[in-house]
Amino acid sequence: MLLNAVYYMEFSPRYHHTADMLQTEQHLIEAAKQNPEHFGPLYDKYYKQIFGYVYQRMDCKDTAFDLTSQVFLKALTNIEKYEYKGVPFASWLYRIAHSEVMQSFRTRKNQRTVNADISDLRNICEEVEQEYMEEYKSILMTVIKDLPEEDLQLVELRFFEKRQFKEIAEILNLTETNAKVKLYRILDRVKKTLTKSNKNGN
Amino acid sequence: MGTKFNIDRKPVPDEEINSHKDFGELIKTFKKQSIEKARSDTNFLKNKKITYTAIIAGATVLCTVTYFSVFKSKETKQTTYDKITTIPLQTNAQNSKSNKAFIVPPISKLNVPYQKFKLKSEHGATLKTQSNSKIIVPKNAFVNKKGENIIGDVEIQFREFHDQADIIASGIPMKYDSAGIQSHLESAGMIDIKGYQNNEPIFINPKKQITVELQSTQIADKFNMYELDTVAKNWTYLHRDNSLKGLEKQDNTVKENNVTKTIQKQIDAIPPKIEIEKVVYSKKINQLPKANEPTKPSKAIEGRPKFQLDVNAKEFPELATFNNMVFEVGSENKNYNSKLSEITWSSAEISEGSQKGKNYLLTLKLRDRIEKLFVYPALTGKDFDNALKTYDIKYIEYKNVLAKRLADEKRLKEEFEKKQAEYLAEQKKLNDDLIKERIKIRQEQEQQLANQFKSIGNQQRVTRIFQVSNFGIYNSDCPNSMPKGEVLNPLYMVNGTTPLLNLSYSYLICANKNLVYNLNPNEPLRFNPAEKYSMCIIANGKTYLCDHETFANNTSNKQNKISLKEISSEIDNVVDFKKALGI
Repeated sequence: MLLNAVYYMEFSPRYHHTADMLQTEQHLIEAAKQNPEHFGPLYDKYYKQIFGYVYQRMDCKDTAFDLTSQVFLKALTNIEKYEYKGVPFASWLYRIAHSEVMQSFRTRKNQRTVNADISDLRNICEEVEQEYMEEYKSILMTVIKDLPEEDLQLVELRFFEKRQFKEIAEILNLTETNAKVKLYRILDRVKKTLTKSNKNGN
Repeated sequence: MGTKFNIDRKPVPDEEINSHKDFGELIKTFKKQSIEKARSDTNFLKNKKITYTAIIAGATVLCTVTYFSVFKSKETKQTTYDKITTIPLQTNAQNSKSNKAFIVPPISKLNVPYQKFKLKSEHGATLKTQSNSKIIVPKNAFVNKKGENIIGDVEIQFREFHDQADIIASGIPMKYDSAGIQSHLESAGMIDIKGYQNNEPIFINPKKQITVELQSTQIADKFNMYELDTVAKNWTYLHRDNSLKGLEKQDNTVKENNVTKTIQKQIDAIPPKIEIEKVVYSKKINQLPKANEPTKPSKAIEGRPKFQLDVNAKEFPELATFNNMVFEVGSENKNYNSKLSEITWSSAEISEGSQKGKNYLLTLKLRDRIEKLFVYPALTGKDFDNALKTYDIKYIEYKNVLAKRLADEKRLKEEFEKKQAEYLAEQKKLNDDLIKERIKIRQEQEQQLANQFKSIGNQQRVTRIFQVSNFGIYNSDCPNSMPKGEVLNPLYMVNGTTPLLNLSYSYLICANKNLVYNLNPNEPLRFNPAEKYSMCIIANGKTYLCDHETFANNTSNKQNKISLKEISSEIDNVVDFKKALGI
């Protein structure tokens, strides 16, 4: 009954969990620890999110689907080790996904890919108080893909996936303020690059 | 391999994602992997060679890591070739929609101004705004972009929004998307707070919080706290607003009266009745005469070893009808040999066997020796013929008893279900009565409260407390769905004569609530005729208003013409804008 109730429960699109939802999810995790067959509702709930996260960093769709399966297999294999720390189960899955994606870049020679929309680049410009211009596109793309992996993750999570800082902090195992401060520093660098290019252009 | 950058890549449709979802396959792989792991773990530990190799390999890795960390300097970063791919845009409409800045004050020259305060970060301060709201800044409340404590002068920029005019002028979007459900936020007060030192943005120390005690005219206790996420372009729900000060919190609970108490007692009494009924039903079923199917006699097989035993008829009634019964030793008893028949056993007991009613377990004991045999009841010669006749009679009796029992069971079940249905119907009726009574009480309570507020006057203020951990925009709100009722395709007429086209913004202002609907000017106008509305339209850089009387008149006659009046272009402050809106 519990499993069905949760399975059909309407969840908010991505992350927001009420205390009740967290508690129900905890029951599901405990059930899955007892019997892997009970992992189904968690798999159904998070499949799309995890695929989205993986595909955001990959170029090949099929590889992204394969990696998503790997993430859930790893989660199921290690679910006994999962400990509830007051954050949604999703954070734990994202960490596994991150590790699998990084592993695939190292061992399978998959290509690290950044996927963004023009509107995301415009958002970044808006955040650094610069009016977006067409010539900024290539500058921003170069700056972003040259960022160290940890910084790139922050930019991706915040601007391309539009996640809240609370969620970003939980995925990257940082404090919320730390995530904000780090992102501010990155944006500061972006701003300086854009300003410099503007001056050079003029 | 370098990093690739894709722009505007086509999203994967949900159907495609779902088609790859295969939990059955995941479980299959998991089980296969678990079995393989269990096997390899056993083999691995058994193999001493592998164990020694692992130890040697571990030691080698340790030495190598030590060597590199001590003797090798940092490697220079390699520059790799990076590929940039640009995928053409999907549609212009999508692009233009997302290109618009998130917070845009719709009326040029008009915005809610910031009040600026200076304080020493290491001292903290309590700041008072023009509307008597308080900003309580604790000591050492700020850090810089490096996360270091800030000392010295800092500037706090603060503005507050109280009514529909503030909301429109600020351009802060009040649309709220929760799980795909669109609504508009009815505000009980909103704040925007920023901090700077030497024009550089600062951050709130993660160990501290700024408290804002906002003076609010919205005294209802139905609001939640939200923070505006300018990147996700949506409000983030924080928690329920339980921070009301200055007015007793509204009691949302319904005060029970004698009627509801009596109904509740009656409702509470029903589940025990249902339980009692269940017990009575199962008792009656148990009391019905049991139909025991007689055992069909078996003819003894010649040559098979047999025991003659006295059987307790009460314990095994199915055997009681047969005279001179013998128990044949089953062929499955591999421990049987003819010598067992020669022993004088001190006790021989039978109990139920592996096939109920067909065989029995014979336990033979002599001092410490115990032998167990499966035996089958059988009859010989005339005894068998007699037993068969007796069986036929008993079987007819059994059938009759069984038929009667089934009929009685059916009757009792019907009676039970009828009684249960009566209880449930009674319970439902009582619950309905209770809800009706509670609605009545609630309405009375609300009426009393409304009267109380009326007598207090509309200047009553409360204090709403915002706990601010990050600079940004916060709101005490309640989501309202889009108005329902009438729909019309409006034609906006300036001074009743000139049609107004190319609308930039269209606001439907709710008079009874602190609520502004930001409408899509190209979509039909939806409104609830029972509500009181006015409108504010911005087109061609000019601002037009339709007051609530005109709106009511224009919409009541089912015409689609909404008459507007232009407001003075000289209005450049929110106070004058409020006057123009009639707030």
